[in-house]
Amino acid sequence: MITARQSAPPLSRAINVNGWLFVAPALCLIILFLACPMLWSLWMSFQKGKGMNLTFAGFDNIIRLWHDPVFLKALGNTLLFLLVQVPIMLCLALLAAVTLDDPKLKFRWLFRTAIILPCVTSLVAYSVLFRSMFVEDGLINQVLLALHIASKPVPWMTDPFWSRALIVIAITWRWTGYNMIFYLAALQNIDKSVFEAARVDGVPAYARFLRLTVPMLKPVILFTTVTSTIGTLQLFDEVANITANAAGTSAGPANADLTLSLYIYQLTFKFMPSFGYAATVSWVIVILVAILSSLQFWLAREKD
Amino acid sequence: MNAFSKFTLGLTVTTAITFAGTFAADAKDITVWCWDPNFNVAIMKEAAARYGKTHPDINVNIVDLNKGDVEQKLQTALASNATDALPDIVLIEDYGAQKYLQSFPGSFEALSDHGVDYSGMAPYKVQLMTLEGKVYGMPFDSGVTGLFYRKDYIEAAGYKPEDMQSLTWDKYIEIGKAVEEKTGHKMLGMDPADGGLIRIIMQSTGKWYFDMDGNPNIAGNEGLKAALTVEQKLLQSGIYKPASGWSDWVSKFTSGDVASVITGVWITGTVKAQKDQAGKWGVAPIPMADAQGATNASNLGGSSWYVLASSPEKNEAADFLNEIYGKDVDFYQQILVNQGAVGSLLAARNGDAYSSADDFFGGDKIWQSFSNWLGQVPAVNYGIFTNEADAAVSAQLPALASGGSVDDAIKAIDEQVKTQIQ
Repeated sequence: MITARQSAPPLSRAINVNGWLFVAPALCLIILFLACPMLWSLWMSFQKGKGMNLTFAGFDNIIRLWHDPVFLKALGNTLLFLLVQVPIMLCLALLAAVTLDDPKLKFRWLFRTAIILPCVTSLVAYSVLFRSMFVEDGLINQVLLALHIASKPVPWMTDPFWSRALIVIAITWRWTGYNMIFYLAALQNIDKSVFEAARVDGVPAYARFLRLTVPMLKPVILFTTVTSTIGTLQLFDEVANITANAAGTSAGPANADLTLSLYIYQLTFKFMPSFGYAATVSWVIVILVAILSSLQFWLAREKD
Repeated sequence: MNAFSKFTLGLTVTTAITFAGTFAADAKDITVWCWDPNFNVAIMKEAAARYGKTHPDINVNIVDLNKGDVEQKLQTALASNATDALPDIVLIEDYGAQKYLQSFPGSFEALSDHGVDYSGMAPYKVQLMTLEGKVYGMPFDSGVTGLFYRKDYIEAAGYKPEDMQSLTWDKYIEIGKAVEEKTGHKMLGMDPADGGLIRIIMQSTGKWYFDMDGNPNIAGNEGLKAALTVEQKLLQSGIYKPASGWSDWVSKFTSGDVASVITGVWITGTVKAQKDQAGKWGVAPIPMADAQGATNASNLGGSSWYVLASSPEKNEAADFLNEIYGKDVDFYQQILVNQGAVGSLLAARNGDAYSSADDFFGGDKIWQSFSNWLGQVPAVNYGIFTNEADAAVSAQLPALASGGSVDDAIKAIDEQVKTQIQ
């Protein structure tokens, strides 16, 4: 019986009723709660109007994107966070993983726990804490002043540059440990004899790292780059809770921290509800994720 | 079990359900969403208790959420047409009233159809909830503004309460500099990203981001220009302590860190909650802006009650609001004394509480002042895009703080608002 199934031609597997029955419940749920809303949002992105008074508008929303200074600002901010924060975070995660993989290091478990711990905290909870720590007369500024690192309080909340730096610090704190886990797991799968052989051959430590560790971690680095890219493009909780103003209508001084996701939220819940235009902006994120992910896969492809 | 007993069992169950149904219909539940436990939640509880005395069959269920959550839940339920997720009565901030009325047509019950007498209400409150000849809400608290100041700090700087009475903004900044020199305290706490003060100044001149027809009125708006000019002077004068967000801003004056706060009358409860500062506070009208039609009276925030049209208990809900908020003068005296709420029912101003002296403010009759200013608040059309305009203003504040020209800022705000409102 089993042998018969295995040797059956691929076509008959596609029409195997039993197989389809097994996946049917999951498939129905996915279609209902994933595919349908996605198609519906695509349809909505071609409509415009105030609140529920939606009418078909063709490409009006897409034209509106080009003339909307707030959208362009949000797009620029999001890409800036992506270009600055993702490389910093992944380099830190890789360095931490390699350091903590060293069996001679004392209190290894303590450092590992300390770095991984932030990623179990709730996004909103840590954002609120960061906000209270980084306000004008908050803990961070008091420490910086007391240690004479800064001569006057750092304007974390009121200066565009520093408020962006604050967001980068926050996300890096929260997500470095998360990415480090993947690198640690991958490092433990690499045969140690490769490194020993290289060391016996007199390869210096930095070259072992660049020529052996990094190439062997390439699939994992690609994975973390793609997931971090997607995560940063969807950046919402941190900016909504750390630097957004009380009314929730802007984020950071002169909207320096406004991201695409936060703008979608504003268009839906804070401004006159423009569900159609908000759907258009969310499809911009989808397209960006698709382009950037395929670009990363292409860059990391095997060149034989 | 034979067919007959199955039938009787079925009948019993049906009767039981019917009974339960009629019983539930006897005691009607009115669900209310609002957001401030010390203010509108407490006031709604008082209203419910009063109404319950004459209507024991009505049970008012008050749900305390935060303001952002109320707006988000309301908007989600209306947009998805999930009417059973909605309450019977919801509190909406006045700036957003027209946005909801126009975005979700037919979702709110016109209370002018339920016999509410609007002629005795503050006109600007009635106007902001009127759409196509129908009035939709029950006007609730007013955000009539005042200048709350620390008498001790002002006097230490060499000024007297009389000096605070009819200020200009330049004089206010001058006093602020003296206060810092003599006491080391800043004059006010201010969120450099928040446009609240600009709205206060603009409305005090009778202008808004939009004209009476709801069209953008940014370029050439004297009131907005005056407001931005004052904001720039304040940002550059260094007399303010930067605050980030609501609670940080509140802590600036509750901690005794700053000498004054300019905001809506609803802050009175928070100011008075600092018992150790009793007798040290005074209230004055807000400074006058340098523009045509400028007054010392303005408004910030304020909110009103709305009945959802989908509610099965909408008639009861409308009657409840009308009986208490629409007529009960005594109720308004009580919420004034207990919560510091200046209501919109004009007849309430003749009650005892409004002429009483407040010991916290050194025996000043502050309620009388506020109700006088309430009558002078210029009526404007908040329109439906106030949040969009606010965001555009907020985006220009850093440029103003670093010395950019007000005219350039107005031009940028005008451009952003025009692309945002469609």
